Amino acid sequence: MHFLPSVRTTDRARTAPDSRPEGDAGPARTEPAGGSDRATAQPAPAATPRGPAATPRGPAAALRGPTTTPRGPAAALRGPATTPTSGGPASGAPAAASPHRRPRLADRPQLPALAALAGAALLLAAAETALLFDQPAAPWALALFPAAALTWFVAGAVASLRRPSNRMGAIMFAGALAWFAAGLLNAPQPALSAVGSLVALLPLALGAHLLHAFPSGRLRGRASRLIVAGIYVAALVLHAPAWLFMPGGAGAPLQVADRPDLARLGADVQDLVGGGLLLATAGLLALRLRAATPAQRRVLAPLALYGIAAVALVPTLSRLQGPLLGDDPLALFALQATLLGLLPLAFVAAALRGGFAPTAGVRELSAWLGAADSRPAPLRDALAEALGDPSVELALWAGERERWVDGGGRPAALPDPRSGQGVVLVEAEGRRVGAIVYDATLIADAAPVREAAAVIALALDRDRLTAELIASRERLRASRARIAAAADDERRRIARDLHDGVQGRLVVLGLRAGELRRGADARGDEEAMAEADALRRELDATLHALRELVRGVLPAALAERGLGAAAAELADRMPLPTTVAAGDERYPPAVESACWFVIAEALANVVKHAAARSARVTVEPTAGGVRVEVRDDGRGGAATGSAATGSAARGALPHASASPHASASPHASASPHASGSTHAGGRPGDGAPRASGTGLRGLADRIDVVGGRLAIDSPPGGGTRIVAEVPCGS
Amino acid sequence: MRVVIGEDETLLREGLALVLSREGFEVAALASDGDQLVRAAREHRPELVVTDIRMPPTHTDEGLRAALAIRAELPRTALLVLSQHAQRRYAEQLLGEQAAGVGYLLKQRIGELDLFCADVRRVCAGGTVLDPELVGTLLGRARPDGDPLDALTDRQREVLALMAEGRSNAAIAERLVITEKAVVKHVSNVYDQLGLAPAADDHRRVLAVVRYLSR
Repeated sequence: MHFLPSVRTTDRARTAPDSRPEGDAGPARTEPAGGSDRATAQPAPAATPRGPAATPRGPAAALRGPTTTPRGPAAALRGPATTPTSGGPASGAPAAASPHRRPRLADRPQLPALAALAGAALLLAAAETALLFDQPAAPWALALFPAAALTWFVAGAVASLRRPSNRMGAIMFAGALAWFAAGLLNAPQPALSAVGSLVALLPLALGAHLLHAFPSGRLRGRASRLIVAGIYVAALVLHAPAWLFMPGGAGAPLQVADRPDLARLGADVQDLVGGGLLLATAGLLALRLRAATPAQRRVLAPLALYGIAAVALVPTLSRLQGPLLGDDPLALFALQATLLGLLPLAFVAAALRGGFAPTAGVRELSAWLGAADSRPAPLRDALAEALGDPSVELALWAGERERWVDGGGRPAALPDPRSGQGVVLVEAEGRRVGAIVYDATLIADAAPVREAAAVIALALDRDRLTAELIASRERLRASRARIAAAADDERRRIARDLHDGVQGRLVVLGLRAGELRRGADARGDEEAMAEADALRRELDATLHALRELVRGVLPAALAERGLGAAAAELADRMPLPTTVAAGDERYPPAVESACWFVIAEALANVVKHAAARSARVTVEPTAGGVRVEVRDDGRGGAATGSAATGSAARGALPHASASPHASASPHASASPHASGSTHAGGRPGDGAPRASGTGLRGLADRIDVVGGRLAIDSPPGGGTRIVAEVPCGS
Repeated sequence: MRVVIGEDETLLREGLALVLSREGFEVAALASDGDQLVRAAREHRPELVVTDIRMPPTHTDEGLRAALAIRAELPRTALLVLSQHAQRRYAEQLLGEQAAGVGYLLKQRIGELDLFCADVRRVCAGGTVLDPELVGTLLGRARPDGDPLDALTDRQREVLALMAEGRSNAAIAERLVITEKAVVKHVSNVYDQLGLAPAADDHRRVLAVVRYLSR
């Protein structure tokens, strides 16, 4: 509502100091502040020729403008809402920092065209300046028209250099033209002046358009389109009464009747409609601002603040004009024109802060893809730069699983189309390979995205295959883990069944054999006594064998007391002195099983191959799991076999083929298991492959399955140390 | 003499109750898990608790833990722990600082009724009973070269094993079919060679020997 008063003020301002450019129109000639008289046809500086309802010529136009066109604030609001790129755009740094960023001026195809445009703009500015000041006492403020036009042009050039396919540049070029054209209002030539009066408010409408369209260059949503259309109507059509019925504008080229009342009415309608649309614009942009993230707001602060200031100041200024500026419409016009003419500078500031990140263009993208060292992550970055959308994400289509995944093969979801993110599918050779997820508020036109999609299709397909591979490797690991866990469960079940079922029954049978013996004893039946004794001894032997069996399947000590007790039990049965350092900590069953197998197998190897004098088992908790170490002081040279995994057998492989103990090894004869052993040391002349290493190899697999690492350190003559580290997470 | 039995397998529990009641014990309560056992012991204050080690709900070592809890609460209760397998760590824990009135046997020993009943009575009388298989494991542990144990004669090792099982000199003499005097001599030689201080009671002797063997 406050625009309306401002408009009125404007009108008043216009009326008062106004001087009429037309030669014949006496009243029109009034000169504004210090305005010297002008050549007949020329508008004086404040020169809006009209009376109260008059066409907003020079300053008037400017004054009028604010009321009608929601410049500043609108732009500000628009900005933030539009760039939802998270964080990235905030600094503009991501693009700048990316290593593959290349100087792009060299291959900017639009550069020559821009240069030509710039020449034309400078010529136009010079011509218009010459034209406007080719009248006595032309007020300096008239220079603001070409100046504003040039400002808009420069901003437009920045925009189109950064993003050739974005329409922001076009809008700003149009704005520059509009400022040139509007400036003609004050030209001495009636025809030019007529053109100027037709489009006097066009710069303001374009300003509004700019704010609504930032940053994608397209109007987003029906409300935006309607408002901008309305503003154009208000600026062009509703402006007609001003020049049709220009009061006192007898000489005005387009006047059909001197009807100040109609002109006044038209101006009021225009003010009302324009003001309403400005309000709507402000509201809409405020909503968008609210929907923006803090990072986005930060980026777009320049535009937002400047826009708010412009919206607040332009109307307010015209209202406060009296008290603050005196009744100098010229000063008022200058201020308002400056505020609005500089609007694009706020845009440039936002762009420099990353709100309008440059696009590298599809050509650059393909050049980048041609480079040898491209990697999946940079593909996304390169795409982000090419599209000027730092939020760009790539989704990969996992064909065999019929789902979307990310670069690591993890399941991913495509965004809801209503979320403001756009999706372009990428196809290679007719197959779907992935999708580009981009910010639809930033990139309104999917065409460049589709173009980029065609370029990256093959590279993305490669990424997709990589992701598939990673995923299938992960699935393989998981299935191995499941198999190992199932085997463990089975062992536990068997051990438990034996314990709870068979062993218990045998004990009861032994008890009955004892009873039988007693009965026989009471009867004095020696033969039956001997039978019963023999039966009981058989049962004892069976129980003993069962115990050994259970010990091999899964020792009771492991289930009952954990790794420490199970390790102690193994150590007690070692033929060489074996110490155990282990606490009573418990770990998940799968971890305990895997570690127990490591200890058992490692100790078995010590017995068979190491020719050691002593061994030591250490079990200790670590930050995230358990560490098991089995070391001996034997001859070393153990290997896991040729297929040692990366995690296993550090330093072991070299020893597998070289046989440092080939002859005269004091241990060679001491070890009955020397051949086919996992140790390199062997009998003289024993050149056959002996590093079968299935035992240690199996251990590496076992530990790998529970996500742990097995390391074997076994220098020749230096003993063997096997370390398993297993995480206990989940 | 009152006894409380802890065993989760019904047949064996009933069999044990039968054997012990026939032996003159008053079977005060039967328990099938650790908690029940502790409660029954508190309630009946038995002279003897006989229990399985592995019992519900976790099927780990709740019987052993229950026995230790009972001993801490009622120190004069004799404990006989039965298991399907003999664990050195269990034995060490069970013996603790005070080996009097403690036994640890494989379940299958029950079948040798006379021996078993004798062992039960020995535990009740404050003696110590360790399963021969456990002692065999203890004696069989590999030792560094030059260990005094390796210097013992076979006979001395036999004597040492029977000492570790908790047997008295008289019992050892009977088992080895030698005179008790000969046993005393062997025992004293073993003590000398291993550097052990002579112990007054059989159960102190067990403790010392087991500690020595567990080094």
